Amino acid sequence: MISLEVRILLLGLDNAGKTTLLKQLASEDISHITPTQGFNIKSVQSQGFKLNVWDIGGQRKIRPYWRNYFENTDILIYVIDSADRKRFEETGQELAELLDEEKLSGVPVLIFANKQDLLTAAPASEIAEGLNLHTIRDRVWQIQSCSALSGEGVQVRLWRRLAVPAGHL
Amino acid sequence: MFVQVCLYFYCKCLWRCLKFVVRKLTGQCELQRICYNTKPGAARTMKIEASLKGSKSKRLQTSVSVQPDAIEKTIDDIMELKRINPDINPQLGVSLQACLLQIVGYRNLIAEVEKLRREMYDSENPQHEEMLLKLWKCLKPNSPLKARISKQWCEIGFQGDDPKTDFRGMGLLGLYNLVYFAEWDTEIAQQVLSDSLQPKYSQFSKAEWEKKKLDKAIGYSFAIVGINITDLAYNLLVSGALKTHFYNVAPEAPTLTHFQQTFCYLMHEFHKFWIEEDPLDIMEFNRVREKFHKRLLKQLQNPEMALCPHFAASESLINM
Repeated sequence: MISLEVRILLLGLDNAGKTTLLKQLASEDISHITPTQGFNIKSVQSQGFKLNVWDIGGQRKIRPYWRNYFENTDILIYVIDSADRKRFEETGQELAELLDEEKLSGVPVLIFANKQDLLTAAPASEIAEGLNLHTIRDRVWQIQSCSALSGEGVQVRLWRRLAVPAGHL
Repeated sequence: MFVQVCLYFYCKCLWRCLKFVVRKLTGQCELQRICYNTKPGAARTMKIEASLKGSKSKRLQTSVSVQPDAIEKTIDDIMELKRINPDINPQLGVSLQACLLQIVGYRNLIAEVEKLRREMYDSENPQHEEMLLKLWKCLKPNSPLKARISKQWCEIGFQGDDPKTDFRGMGLLGLYNLVYFAEWDTEIAQQVLSDSLQPKYSQFSKAEWEKKKLDKAIGYSFAIVGINITDLAYNLLVSGALKTHFYNVAPEAPTLTHFQQTFCYLMHEFHKFWIEEDPLDIMEFNRVREKFHKRLLKQLQNPEMALCPHFAASESLINM
């Protein structure tokens, strides 16, 4: 069987849970995570295809570097801390800017409403509404509730269909 | 497979026979030979540790995990078991005790550090809050913090307006380390912080700057790097790589203070390494960190290695 390679870009504000998600996907220990300076990359084998996941730090100072990683992205994963309501506006703005990027045009986007294990987490439907996701017309998108901490909702099979338009998976 | 198993037992058997013969010839057991032939420090303590762990006697095997207050009794037991007369060999007990204190101390230090790491930063806890504010005061004595939640935290290299989310997997250990560095090594900590905020090559002229397109060049985030270096120090400790260093510099049991002093050293060294490596920008952080880690591991393989000699054992203990 031919092994297909998929380039996945993992973005979001700092403390959204990107690195935890990455390590969860790679079935690695998640108890020693530190804030990401720069980026992490991992290759994950899953059901005959190879996911190359790029996890870029979300600190404001690092966000200008995100654009250096846009090229050849097959899937954009945007992670949101569902319990950090104070920053919903900021995260919405960053996402809107990403969706406007020429280099990311047409790239399917998966939004993870992370930290659903917290009592104060907003449900995915509320976040979808707040971010006006229904106005996205130029690409395939999906919002998925998850808890990167427990691993619930992060399974690849749940979002495989995203990559179909890109000719992968 | 079968051949390997046979070979293993053959070698083990051969090793035992050899030890037996040497013991008969010299009249000394392995522990004695190590203590008399190896100078104190990591070289000796690590050999003693390996010898005790590899012993066929249960008592000797478990001696490396006794509580510190049971060490004297353990030494007596070992001497008795090995039929060594303490009156003829007065130095041996003292030497063994020093080794065992270090071995047991290292294990206890791992437990202590792990406990701190597991304790999450809690903004409801006044002690935690006090430490965080102390960190600010030590690093920025001339610029008071205007509010607990403030963009000012970014000035010392936290990610956002509330540092509490940045400690993550390193818990209180990260905060303890940073506060220790800022409080006891203030001058260097402030220097490293100030350098980290500078764009690279501040010594260059503006023209050179533009030529090299250095507008992109930023330093690194001091506090976040501190938390990442805490992770590095933690990994070195838990993997046992720091044994060489601690057995060489801590005259008895290594303590949390030793660990924190090592952290200060690592921060300073990493800073110098970062400048030497001359990375294009912060996105190279993990590459540089990995290279730094490998270099340390290599250095620590040398049994003579002491990372920071400024808290070396006192003379009297060295002569033991």
